Amino acid sequence: MSNPNAIRLDSVSKSFDGFKALSEASFTARWGEVHALLGENGAGKSSLMNIAAGLYAPETGSLFIDDNPVRLKGPLDAAAQGIGMVHQHFKLVKPFTVAENILLGLRHLQAGTYRQRLAQTAEQITAMAASLGFSIEPHARVDQLSVAEQQRVEILKVLLAGARILILDEPTAVLTDAEAENLLTTVQHFAHQEGAAVILVTHKMNDVMRYADQVTVMRTGSTVASLKPQTVSVGELVKLTVGDAPTPPQIPSSRDAGEVRLAVRDLRSSGDAPALRGVNLELRAGEIYGIAGVGGNGQSELAGALMGLPEPVSGEMELVGEGDLNSLSAARRRELGIACIPADRYSSALAAPLSISDNFAMGDVHSGRYGPFWFLRRKRIEADTAAAVAEFDVQGVRSLQQKAALLSGGNAQKLVIAREFARIPQLVIVHSPSRGLDVRATLAVHERLRSARDAGAAVLLISEDLDEVMALADRIGVMSAGRIIGEFAQPADRQAIGQAMVNHV
Amino acid sequence: MFDTTNFQPLLARRYTLEVRQQMAWYWQAQVIALALLVGMLISAAILVSAGVPAGELLNEFVILTLFDSQSLRAVLFQAAPLIMVGLAGCLAFRARFWNLGLEGQMIWGAIGATAISLFEIGPPSLRLPLMMVCAMACGLLWALAPVLLKLHLKVNEIISTLMLNYIAINFLLHLVYGSWKDPRDSFPYSPQYKVFERLPELFDGVSLAVVLALVVALFVLWFTGISRAGLYLRFVDSSPGVARAVGVPVKRVILGTVLLSGALAGLAGLMITAGQEGRLTHSFYAGYGFSGILIAFLARNQPIAATVVAVLVATLFVAGRSLQVFYQIPFSMVQLIQAILVICVASSEFFIRHRIRRIQGGQV
Repeated sequence: MSNPNAIRLDSVSKSFDGFKALSEASFTARWGEVHALLGENGAGKSSLMNIAAGLYAPETGSLFIDDNPVRLKGPLDAAAQGIGMVHQHFKLVKPFTVAENILLGLRHLQAGTYRQRLAQTAEQITAMAASLGFSIEPHARVDQLSVAEQQRVEILKVLLAGARILILDEPTAVLTDAEAENLLTTVQHFAHQEGAAVILVTHKMNDVMRYADQVTVMRTGSTVASLKPQTVSVGELVKLTVGDAPTPPQIPSSRDAGEVRLAVRDLRSSGDAPALRGVNLELRAGEIYGIAGVGGNGQSELAGALMGLPEPVSGEMELVGEGDLNSLSAARRRELGIACIPADRYSSALAAPLSISDNFAMGDVHSGRYGPFWFLRRKRIEADTAAAVAEFDVQGVRSLQQKAALLSGGNAQKLVIAREFARIPQLVIVHSPSRGLDVRATLAVHERLRSARDAGAAVLLISEDLDEVMALADRIGVMSAGRIIGEFAQPADRQAIGQAMVNHV
Repeated sequence: MFDTTNFQPLLARRYTLEVRQQMAWYWQAQVIALALLVGMLISAAILVSAGVPAGELLNEFVILTLFDSQSLRAVLFQAAPLIMVGLAGCLAFRARFWNLGLEGQMIWGAIGATAISLFEIGPPSLRLPLMMVCAMACGLLWALAPVLLKLHLKVNEIISTLMLNYIAINFLLHLVYGSWKDPRDSFPYSPQYKVFERLPELFDGVSLAVVLALVVALFVLWFTGISRAGLYLRFVDSSPGVARAVGVPVKRVILGTVLLSGALAGLAGLMITAGQEGRLTHSFYAGYGFSGILIAFLARNQPIAATVVAVLVATLFVAGRSLQVFYQIPFSMVQLIQAILVICVASSEFFIRHRIRRIQGGQV
């Protein structure tokens, strides 16, 4: 009935610095199937797959390929065994071309001069890309490619190195719906038609239900079930991953929106290919205004401009009663209750090497709450941080002096929200708040945004995840090519919004 | 009976390398202390092979320098300018500004102080404070151009500060070989400072320079650890992008910190001219710029640690001088030892970031 085993991990354990990331986890993937590895953030999915890819050595347990025990000394060993992994954070040399990046992983396989090998690699790239159903320019620089294209480069890299067991770590996290569908269809084809084994590390139920032939569920470092996704409902799958069933996302409770709090008029960015080409929108108190759209249509630039990052823009961003939003100092922004939750936590919200309390203190330090310029009131900072950590349910805090980098994605996001919501927020600007978060953390984040709105805040939600926008927003603006091209009031038609997102170019 | 079933020869055991997430500070301190010990043993071996009797090493370095009160005073006296340049290095590096221009700023500090002395500006009672202010202002101004160039035009400060050193050095030579030459003996140095222009001994032979250095160390500790600027500086140090996003006035923090670094370097220049030499000489600065960087590096930009390291480096300087006299060991040996210590401490970083664990036999 079923194909032979491709890769099997048996009772694998691994701990980091005393923290048990994996305990007796077992996993089997067969040839010719797309096998989903499902679990919340921190369930141990990536650790298990890093062991399969030879990056970590397991403490106990064993690894079998084609039912033969193997010991991997490193990723090169794994590649020799036909295992290739595409990491969540791409491992590409940005200023190099596609062909150079891929050649770097193949250098031991080829003969000839550098130029010959580069030309040969470029040919292989074009051929392999064509067979997978997309095209890519082998001599393009990686830093000029979109995220989806970079991911394709990663996939080509491992396939050209001869991978027959393809591990994809959260491949759709950075992709839009259409891109994700494209990618998953491609890898499904690779498994079904070419008999390879594809392991899909994910926490997205939809991907699992639609594309996986088999799913293994992980929870807190152990594998808890392995089953066919067709045999269970989404609800049951969710229950397996989180342990208990979370409440489904609710339709936003519409209440009367108040006065206009933020008016953006004809916001444009400068340059040859401006990302913003005249954004107009009005945000009212007591509402969540969602901006939906395919990634790369100016959302990041809009978020940056509103959050006060140095974005070269012209046009108006009027905070009603205060004037130009960008002329406000950091201290004044805080005083007015402007909260910013950026998409990339570690590049624009948290200083990873600094302590949790330092990171929290930044929120209110300008106002003098933590003492005058010449003196920081550490006791008060610590007390406030401790209270906020408890209130916002930030988990994994062993000490307030611990580095923020040690928090998992969801808890880091909770810390950002705790800081930004330390004062009653009046204007909230959020960009992709649940990116990379698991179900439970996402629900917690959404609940915070709803309660901020219900307390009268004006919330601008910019998200590439349409489900998130649908679940939260009272009004939805669709962004395309640097403009808001349509507005929808709730209850909105998902189909119509989806159409608007892709039709307008 | 001795159990041999579990015994493996040392080299046949398997080890893994793990990335360590965090290491308690006291373990870090022990690792660094061990690295310093290894560095000292290597240095001792080199000194012995260069002809210093092994038995004399401990005597020269520890007993004669630290337990002899006169030598201890000499060490502290030597340490004062080193503490200042070390602190100047710590400040600039914390702002992610690679200030390699400590020497140039020292030279300008010394030139500024000497100008006040030479042109007899201000009454004698105010002369020394005026010289200090002028030294700090000159050091600060010499750091101003590179920091403004970096902030506004993104000019690499490693190049600009380094090149400005040469301008400062040649200007110094121009002065001491030219118009500021001591008319009495025509050697390349300025006329001697007057008594009230020199840093006085306060008590028990301890110079004002030492007290000043300690006060400045406390000031830097306050600045980086207790004031709000310190919090801002930590954000700038860890990630300028995040700092900007969370509302740190990044440019002002960098500007202020680097200027402070320049001012401290200028004051270090004054400590040598008004403390040790008593005049502006043509090579008073030699080696201090490198030592300042080294002290800041070894101290991980921590002001108190920088003070301790500066005293150790001063011990090396003082002991090095007596080795020069008694054993004809060249003074460059002191720089060799410094370099060995730096390499050892830099290597110890590996053990702070990683953990080596033995894999139990029989398990894969």
